[in-house]
Amino acid sequence: MTPLVYVLEEQIRDLLSQTGDVRLVDGVAYGFDDWTVFHAYTEKPYSTPSGRICPCVAMRSDAAGFVDEEKLMLQVRSRVDPDGDPIVVLLAGTDAGGSPSCRALVLTEKGVAGADARFVPRRSELFSRNTGLLETSALADKKVVIVGLGSGGSPIALELARAGIGHFTLIDFDRLELGNISRHVCGVNDLGRYKTLAVRDQVLQKNPYAKVSTMEINVNQSLGQVEDAVAACDLLIVASDNDQSRFNLNQMSLNNNKVTLYGRAITRAAGGDVLRVRPWKGPCYNCVFSSGLIDGREEEMSQKRQALAVLPAYVEEDKINTMIQVGLSSDIAPIANMMVKMALVELSRGIETGMSTVDEDLASDFYVWANRREEAYANWPRMGFKWTHPSILRWYGARIDRDLDCLVCGGHLEEEPTT
Amino acid sequence: MGWSSQQSARLHLEMGILSRYFPTFFLKDSIIPGHAVIEGTLRSNAGNEYLIRLRVPADLPNSVPIVEIVSPVLRDRFGHSLVDLGTSYPMHLLKPENGAVRICHYSASHWHPNITFFKVLLKIRAWIEAYEGHLDSGYAIDHYLPHMEA
Repeated sequence: MTPLVYVLEEQIRDLLSQTGDVRLVDGVAYGFDDWTVFHAYTEKPYSTPSGRICPCVAMRSDAAGFVDEEKLMLQVRSRVDPDGDPIVVLLAGTDAGGSPSCRALVLTEKGVAGADARFVPRRSELFSRNTGLLETSALADKKVVIVGLGSGGSPIALELARAGIGHFTLIDFDRLELGNISRHVCGVNDLGRYKTLAVRDQVLQKNPYAKVSTMEINVNQSLGQVEDAVAACDLLIVASDNDQSRFNLNQMSLNNNKVTLYGRAITRAAGGDVLRVRPWKGPCYNCVFSSGLIDGREEEMSQKRQALAVLPAYVEEDKINTMIQVGLSSDIAPIANMMVKMALVELSRGIETGMSTVDEDLASDFYVWANRREEAYANWPRMGFKWTHPSILRWYGARIDRDLDCLVCGGHLEEEPTT
Repeated sequence: MGWSSQQSARLHLEMGILSRYFPTFFLKDSIIPGHAVIEGTLRSNAGNEYLIRLRVPADLPNSVPIVEIVSPVLRDRFGHSLVDLGTSYPMHLLKPENGAVRICHYSASHWHPNITFFKVLLKIRAWIEAYEGHLDSGYAIDHYLPHMEA
């Protein structure tokens, strides 16, 4: 099989645009499948790549792409210490039309083999198949802040990257542990890493041109920093695991007049709910939380740190351990997916897209989902064939009005912020 | 960074309620979030006075305020200092700091911003009655005050 070499078109353009005598540039490549596929970079990769590392050298080819292979091999061998691994050579040039082109060679102990070089295209082409549903060029400018990069927040980040959102701020102070893996978009390769950085790499795998900034901080202890990020975003998505952070983010959402989506799973992910806050127009997080509407729908405790943060210090260890009951990833997925849909609706507002009819349907600000007939849904009838009664695996919108007695957004405030 | 305008409005609201129902309570060191405290005296039915300090959270009203009993030095019926008890489930006590007893009133899982300091002090007032009941009977405080569901 002819080896395949993928290279970022943007990096080749950058190489070609460099002035001066640029002959050889040291890069890096990652090989897969017995050195038959390579991902080559002329500069530091934008994310933590996978694969087996090997040397890569890039050069601007002479006219017509002619290369003296013997001379090249000597030149390249003198630059790297291959340890027997292949060396990927990129020959950057321009085609007859003036567009960048790239040839690739793979050098092994056996000699030089020509490879099939392919570009990872520019942003405009990366999402070309989305045309017609989403105006990705518009969404590329949208800025999203996601707080909480666990089992809920991480798939949301990925789906929004797939939809072409261009700017992300990811906030979480947690690191990826073994117990997270089965419900998280990241795997064992990312164990021990900050969730923000691991998810950033996943986002960049979907959209290499996304701008992703990360904040490894506790929202409740870094209010000013987080509020600055919220003020600069188009949409705030809250997938954190404690109410204190949600209350703080609720205040920031109101202060900065930012639409915010909150999602959570209840115990063992028997179900969950999603809330959209349109500041000063609908209910805020506190209006809903303090209304009693979600009483008896206790939030899922997925790890000990989460339980310790909300329980009094004297609660015994055994009790804490019994409270940590998690659901399956497939139980979290519908909640995350609903948040993605609502996020796309909000971000597409004012743009002619296929999301406008969804916007008409999502009239409610609060949605409830049941995965199983247990916990808060234990008394629900079986799904059967009726559509007229509550059932598992369906979304239900609940009408909730803004609470004028709410001590966060209600009538005690003399006037709403003007931001 | 100082209080936000919303937090300033909330502090004003809180002090307005307290001035009506718990008029001995006043705000101290209110300029810097995280340092502000509200102090005042609660008097039990038996006429005993307790100096209470409520620490206003920097993220007011989004987290549970710490409430301490500054004086008198509290002892249980058997003469042990409540500070020495440390964290105590039967006595509704959290880990003490700086020699002051900290009362467990609301857990974080039950807290929301609609809870005012007035409601918190009502719970402290109830704790004081239960404490004095303990001194009389020897029953732990949770004999009088059931725990909120965790």
